[in-house]
Amino acid sequence: MGPVPAIAVNGRPVRHIVTGAIWEGRRELKQHLLYAAILWALFTLVGEVIVFSYNPLPLVAAEEGEIVDHAFKVLTVMAVPVFAFVVATVAYSVFRFRRRGEPGEDGPPIRGSGPVIATWLVVTTALTVLVIIFPGTTGLLELRAKAKNEDLVVRAEGSRWFWKVTYPEHNITIFGPANELMLPKDRRVRFEVTSTDVVHAFWVPAFRIKIDAVPGRVTTTYANPTLAGGQDLDSGFTLVCAELCGTAHALMKMPVRVVEPDEFDAWVAEKTANP
Amino acid sequence: MAFLPLLRGVLLGGIGFAVGSALAAGIRAVSGMEDTWSTEPVFALGYLFGLIGWLLGVGVWGTWAREWVGKAPRGHHEAAAGGWERYFRFCTDHKVIGVQYIVSFVVIFLLAGLAAVLLRIELMDPGQTILDANNFNTTMGLHGIMMVAVAVAIMMGGFANILVPLMIGADDVAFPRINALSYWVVPPVAVLLLATPLMGGFDSGWTAYPPLSVVNASGQLLFLIAFLTFGISSILGGINFVATIVLMRAPGMTWTRMPIFVWSIFAAALISLTATQFVAFGLLTVILDRVAGMSFYNPAEGGTAILYEHIFWFYSHPAVYIMILPAFGAALEVITHFSRKPLFAYKWVVGSFIAIVGLSSIVWAHHLFTSGMSDYLHLPFMVMTEIISIPTGIVFLAGLGTIWLGRLWLTTPMLFGLGFLANFVVGGITGIFLADVPTDIHLQDTYFIVAHFHYTIMGGEIFALMAAVYFWFPKITGRMYNETLGKVHFYTMFVAYTATFVPMFWLGVHGMNRRVADYLPELADMNLLASVASFALAASFGVFVVNLALSWARGPVASSNPWKARTLEWQTSSPPPLENFVQEPRVTGAPYDYGVPGSVHAVVGAAGGSGEEEQR
Repeated sequence: MGPVPAIAVNGRPVRHIVTGAIWEGRRELKQHLLYAAILWALFTLVGEVIVFSYNPLPLVAAEEGEIVDHAFKVLTVMAVPVFAFVVATVAYSVFRFRRRGEPGEDGPPIRGSGPVIATWLVVTTALTVLVIIFPGTTGLLELRAKAKNEDLVVRAEGSRWFWKVTYPEHNITIFGPANELMLPKDRRVRFEVTSTDVVHAFWVPAFRIKIDAVPGRVTTTYANPTLAGGQDLDSGFTLVCAELCGTAHALMKMPVRVVEPDEFDAWVAEKTANP
Repeated sequence: MAFLPLLRGVLLGGIGFAVGSALAAGIRAVSGMEDTWSTEPVFALGYLFGLIGWLLGVGVWGTWAREWVGKAPRGHHEAAAGGWERYFRFCTDHKVIGVQYIVSFVVIFLLAGLAAVLLRIELMDPGQTILDANNFNTTMGLHGIMMVAVAVAIMMGGFANILVPLMIGADDVAFPRINALSYWVVPPVAVLLLATPLMGGFDSGWTAYPPLSVVNASGQLLFLIAFLTFGISSILGGINFVATIVLMRAPGMTWTRMPIFVWSIFAAALISLTATQFVAFGLLTVILDRVAGMSFYNPAEGGTAILYEHIFWFYSHPAVYIMILPAFGAALEVITHFSRKPLFAYKWVVGSFIAIVGLSSIVWAHHLFTSGMSDYLHLPFMVMTEIISIPTGIVFLAGLGTIWLGRLWLTTPMLFGLGFLANFVVGGITGIFLADVPTDIHLQDTYFIVAHFHYTIMGGEIFALMAAVYFWFPKITGRMYNETLGKVHFYTMFVAYTATFVPMFWLGVHGMNRRVADYLPELADMNLLASVASFALAASFGVFVVNLALSWARGPVASSNPWKARTLEWQTSSPPPLENFVQEPRVTGAPYDYGVPGSVHAVVGAAGGSGEEEQR
């Protein structure tokens, strides 16, 4: 074990070769960076083509759902280059820097320098601030702007393991799952959700809205249905319990039907006449 | 008689249980209650006394408690000596305790994996096949809690236990008896969990939200006291590692010369020590609601259900960093040694670990965006949560910066380390979708979440864990694993893992809620794909078990440093002697100075003369 030259540990030569130039040669390093960047661009391109040509989202049937879907798509588009960067760097390094068996030598002693780290921090912080503002905060504010001035109030009460739905303005009460949760199209609905026993959650996938049903209190969420339809059109038109509530949790569902406003009024009239 | 301590523990545990349950029944009788032997209160108090009896019998009395009554206890040397029978008693050697942890939790991991296979068989097609709804829920809850226990304990209790003292040049941990205690409360946890089906199972998942967890079958009580007991183990482990790392470092082992794995354990131990009390309190209140008729969560008597959700996640979100921080450390450790380059941006990684410790405790309510909590909490918790991606990003900077221009040695552990990077970035990116309130409203409580946390904990931590298992296997056992089988394990696991969990993102977006035994027919194809892939995933662990079992028994003898690595654990024999180093090591430089001419991390043993101390 020889003496330890302090200069090699803390001295200038090591600290200054942050780019690897001394060890690999500047030209070779530039080549590596170029090829890796091409690979990154290629992966990003392929990823974005997939994202733009394939819609990963199911049918959406409410204004709230469109806000959610927009945020989902924006995040997916942003995610592709990040994912591609990691995969491209790992893939390039594995194919270009691997050694068959035990490497006989060490790599360049690059410890990471100010400019590289600073760039990384600036980029990741900028990305974080971006997603916080858009689509995070913007989406949140859009949703909140829609959460007022309802045309109709619907109360949903979860019990193990069924939903009871009440239209307090019309004195109508229905139970699932044999009945449908009827809603008028293009009308803003305020759902007042509660539970009689354990925690449930009120979720309509086609509307992309969800709120827990908590015993002892009333929680609210809003939906503005934009599409007439029911389970025959898409299975997203279902009121699903999304919070584990015991034995028959998976079966705690109620079909949802959205109809034109005049049809809804007719249904209300009929229900009121023959409760 | 090697199993005498275990028998004594079981016997005293039984006696304790009898005393405790009689006491509970006595209290009930005196209070004039009708069902004197009501199952749950009697069981709860019986268990408390039984646990104390078990611990005293298994070795706490002989090695520890004797001194409380003025008698001489067995010393550390005596308590740590012996052959294979050390593994079956209250042994205070950190390497023995580490192996006890690793083997126990690998067994729990395999059992929980089998539970997952049962779930995937049930979910292969819609409708009911092999599990009815209650059995499905219990199996799902057991899978969850057992995997959570593995994820929390195997890195810290297992690998950190063996490696931290070695890596910092210590002869053991700061509190060897607390260390042994933290392990010996684990067997009752496993027994209780596996016994839950005998008492009606529990259908509330590992999160155990009340009021459901107050009103359901008595299996829930077993779950609650098991989880609470496990929390005690976590807290004890946290105390021990914080104290060990602060106090026991070898001369010259400054904070900036510590291997990154030690730093990650330090950070995780801080969380383990400070956050676990909260979940213990949450569980205790649910237990009291059940056995003593208190009403923390009964709205009819003024309780509130959301209170528990806040308390629970106030621990359980930091807990995911107890799981993932050691994984960061282990993966970066492996990646650095097999890139033969210094760890890129070491001090920034340390800073990011500390930042994560702080941030982890102020983001919990992102689990509650749809809980009905006040709307105005949405924005701050979204912002705090997304800020965590900055320190987490530094881990990627370090990993990618280290392999870049390296001399990559693609051993099995290195493959798992790289797999960790590829998987964890997916976990991180999908985490943004869940931190973002608009998208979370749709995705909360769906299979998207299931896929996301499997990508972070399984794709992240378990891949890093596998890297750690293969990397340190020769050090721990003194034998080499089979490289070919190791690579077969990696490739089958990686492919099967991807095919299992990618479909789950799609399922969640398309309306499949989590924790369901049944689903809509149009989700059948993707579920079938996930199920078939999960069977291949399970099979890959068959390769893992066979490889390690055979290699441990008759693999080629490993040298002290088969990877030519620089850190201290490789500068002593494999496996290391009782007090780790022949002579106290002196640390003279940075741990990862690969490629720096003449640099030395540490001097170990008589060969290192004086005068080599680096001037700093």
